[in-house]
Amino acid sequence: MSDNSLTDHAYDGIQEFDNPLPGWWKWMFVGSIVFSVLYAMVFSMGAPGRSMVDQYDAALAANTRLQFKEIGDLSADRATILAYMQKDEWLKVGQVVFKTNCISCHGREGEGNVGPNLTDDVYKNVRDVEGIARVIAQGANKGAMPAWANRLHPNEVVLVAAYVATMRGQNLPGRAPEGNPIPPWDDGSPESQNVPTDGAAADDAGTTEETETTEDGETEGGGA
Amino acid sequence: MIGGRDKAFSSSEAFMSTELDASSAGAASSSQLQVENTEVEKFSYDDQIVRMFVAATIVWGLVATVVGLLVAVILVVPWLTGGLPWISFGRLRPLHTNAAIFAFAGNAIFAAIYYSTQRLCKARMWSDRLSKIHFWGWQAIIVAAAVTLPLGISQSKEYAELEWPIDLAIAVIWLFVFGGNVLMTLIHRRERHLYVAIWFYIATIVTVALLHVFNNLVVPTSLFHSYSVYAGVQDAFMQWWYGHNAVAFFLTTPFLGLMYYFLPKAAERPVFSYKLSIIHFWSLVFIYIWAGPHHLHYTALPEWATTLGMLFSLMLWMPSWGGMINGLLTLRGVWHKVAADPILKFFVVGVTFYGMATFEGPMLSIKSVNALSHYTDWTIAHVHSGALGWNGFMTFGMLYWLLPRLFQTKLWSDRLMSLHFWTGTLGILLYIIPIYAAGIMQGLMWRAIDPETGQLMYPDFIETTQSIVPLWWLRVLGGVLYVGGVVMMGLNAFMTWLSRPATYDEPVYSAPALSKHYPHQDPVPVSDLANAPVLEFGKKLDVWSKMNWHRSWERLPVKFTVLTTVAVVIASLFEIIPTFLIRSNVPTIATVKPYTPLELAGRHLYVAEGCYNCHSQQIRPMIAETKRYGEYSKPGEFIYDHPFQWGSRRIGPDLAREGGKQSSFWHWTHFENPSLVSEGSVMPPYGHLLTQDIKYGAIQAMVNAAHQLGAPYEEELQDAEGMARKQAEQIAAEIVAQGGPANVQDRQAIALIAYMQRVGVDLFASETPETDEENPPASEEEASADSVAQHSTSPTLASKP
Repeated sequence: MSDNSLTDHAYDGIQEFDNPLPGWWKWMFVGSIVFSVLYAMVFSMGAPGRSMVDQYDAALAANTRLQFKEIGDLSADRATILAYMQKDEWLKVGQVVFKTNCISCHGREGEGNVGPNLTDDVYKNVRDVEGIARVIAQGANKGAMPAWANRLHPNEVVLVAAYVATMRGQNLPGRAPEGNPIPPWDDGSPESQNVPTDGAAADDAGTTEETETTEDGETEGGGA
Repeated sequence: MIGGRDKAFSSSEAFMSTELDASSAGAASSSQLQVENTEVEKFSYDDQIVRMFVAATIVWGLVATVVGLLVAVILVVPWLTGGLPWISFGRLRPLHTNAAIFAFAGNAIFAAIYYSTQRLCKARMWSDRLSKIHFWGWQAIIVAAAVTLPLGISQSKEYAELEWPIDLAIAVIWLFVFGGNVLMTLIHRRERHLYVAIWFYIATIVTVALLHVFNNLVVPTSLFHSYSVYAGVQDAFMQWWYGHNAVAFFLTTPFLGLMYYFLPKAAERPVFSYKLSIIHFWSLVFIYIWAGPHHLHYTALPEWATTLGMLFSLMLWMPSWGGMINGLLTLRGVWHKVAADPILKFFVVGVTFYGMATFEGPMLSIKSVNALSHYTDWTIAHVHSGALGWNGFMTFGMLYWLLPRLFQTKLWSDRLMSLHFWTGTLGILLYIIPIYAAGIMQGLMWRAIDPETGQLMYPDFIETTQSIVPLWWLRVLGGVLYVGGVVMMGLNAFMTWLSRPATYDEPVYSAPALSKHYPHQDPVPVSDLANAPVLEFGKKLDVWSKMNWHRSWERLPVKFTVLTTVAVVIASLFEIIPTFLIRSNVPTIATVKPYTPLELAGRHLYVAEGCYNCHSQQIRPMIAETKRYGEYSKPGEFIYDHPFQWGSRRIGPDLAREGGKQSSFWHWTHFENPSLVSEGSVMPPYGHLLTQDIKYGAIQAMVNAAHQLGAPYEEELQDAEGMARKQAEQIAAEIVAQGGPANVQDRQAIALIAYMQRVGVDLFASETPETDEENPPASEEEASADSVAQHSTSPTLASKP
């Protein structure tokens, strides 16, 4: 491209050509302005489902469907947890929830750190398998084990409880065992027999823990 | 606004001077010399001040890049700091950014402005004394920054970390000393019209002053601590209005001015297009100022604001490229010189990086792109292609061009200069390519969701950090090369300085003073459509588009300054006023309460340690984020946050819902040494928080200042210290109960834990009856609060048991 003539000015020897704006530059600039005006109009007119929050709500609903369409709403009872301990594909979900939220205290494999070792056979605040879900949802030991009911979907609580239950008995080297021996998860006793224990644990969770801490007289991360 | 009425072509300037002023005998005007009635004045240029700024540029350039290298190294070898608080990443990263921006680039633009303004105005700086005060004042400010930032004295707003006494000094030195001196020089100039470089300098001076003052409005609690007057959403908005435009008006406009002077000088070629200069200058200045909210996509900032930020960023693409085109096309016809001259090579690479960065900027401002890039290393790569490529290389080119002229001798080694160019270029590439890869990779890992289970693919945050550590090592290598280049330049400059003459020659120039009134009339261009059968309006539009009207503005520096100010102020107010006045932007949440005195003290530690440099406190409404961190952040949660702590990078995980997520003892252990509970963590140990005591005496002043800013305190105003001690004892008891050490109630970690346990929990708190009294139902507020409540009804959210 050949230059137009120079302008009639010079500064400290610097001259300037009187060239026109490059066409592609000019039209892309105009185009970006036109696009922006149109976009702003369309955006400000609004439409259901277009806002950031609407899109999130839709995505969340879709994600929840994807995760739990098959299983519906689980309740954190013994039968359910025991059942999901047998379903590998759902245990994997429990494992992801565990990795997202639990490993900083209980270790990547559940071997324990600040929180108790979950792979041994003794437990502090848990007497039965549904106790795991309860401790996860409500917390234990004055916040040493935080409550997760606010943060996790109820199904996620069940699935991570099932996952944690499967860790029992691996006895990975890590934090020393602490707490009391309890019967196996699938101890054949009928539901009705469990009710008193269950109720007691739920009612006096705090008291029980305190007593335990005093008895043990050592560092407790709470939890299961 | 069409120039003059007279159609006669007259010469633009009629005071071209003597043989001494050979350089300014522009070919265009020499043929049309006219003699004016003003007497010829003799003057010389103050190059001593330029020499001083050049030396400072090199010294601080070395400091800034070495500190940058250091923070890059301690990310990959975290134990290297030995737990020393003042060399932790959180405190050094602000030192690196401030040194790079205000010390290195700052001194570089001062050198450029002092050298070129005098010559473009045919006038010595108005006051040598002001120039000297500017120089020493600015260096003192830098030293104050280099001392206070490692000590943890910080406002925590990015690139505005310096505390209020230093901010005051900056305002005075920048606006009154530097700005005043330049404006008076413009007024006393002997060149009638202002060259495009000067326009950019004017925009720089005015806008930086404006940004600096309004982003740094604070309520001091002591000499070393203050609270931003803005809270939460508004504070974030002001910060990124500032932060984005610091890039615009500290790292872009002055460097464009630098380019417009030094590039045609070095290439000895006329600038490509005067018209393009006009259009891209005004569009850049007007549009840039709107774009800040694109730093806050998907945050609690209202969506209309971020949308506006995105659109103005898109419109900014061509105005930015106007500068690049005018730089690169100026070299048409002299590319053979580029092949031979390292100075031009520096300029070409610098301008090319400018073009790349200003394409990437608008791209990153697009919401869906930003959704991936935000909080990742992508942003870091983006700013470094701008800082190392554009700011660094333009500065190096300018310095190499200036050194022989200022020290009036040959450059010590042309080969070393050439080696610097190649080392530096390789260094930039080795820095940015791995970091782009790191950013995109980590962003993809964060958002990856298993399509079958709907769960996170990489639930363990540390796994995502660990996977980019090898790329961080490559960055260290790139950094070493870049620093090596700066060292070469330092050596070259030092050796050149050694062979300077005993006394510098100070040539005397002469030029007539400007007459009070411009004795000429601008030529009135004739429309190309003069004889065409079009409406009169069309002809006028055609004449207007020839832009001769701008010529008269260039004669009036004060008017030009005012117009520039109006452009940036109007654009700013369009966004600032609605952000502050529309109440629905920040729907009230009844359960959100002010921090307790101890939590305030802990928050101060969070700010001082620079935690925001690695941890965000802003969860975006995206599945992958809410699954990893918890319910997304709401605007109403931040109304007591002076300053906001949203952060811009997640080297560690987001902390917006950290409260109650870990036990207090876990936090204690984590501060003692993060790898005790998070194997592979790159966070340094914060052992000093476990041994140093809380400054209880300082808490009352913090509470009082927070109260002044709107926190509804009552008992706290009487006995903040007592309340803080009581809460500290509770937390210390908790830690003992959870198995931790006894007697730690006075340790700083306790205050920080108190704050950490509070972050993000109020949204879920159950309402107490007194809350309702404090928030009388206003219809608009209620509606907004309702809408928040609706949005929060997600499966992950249940009321607290």
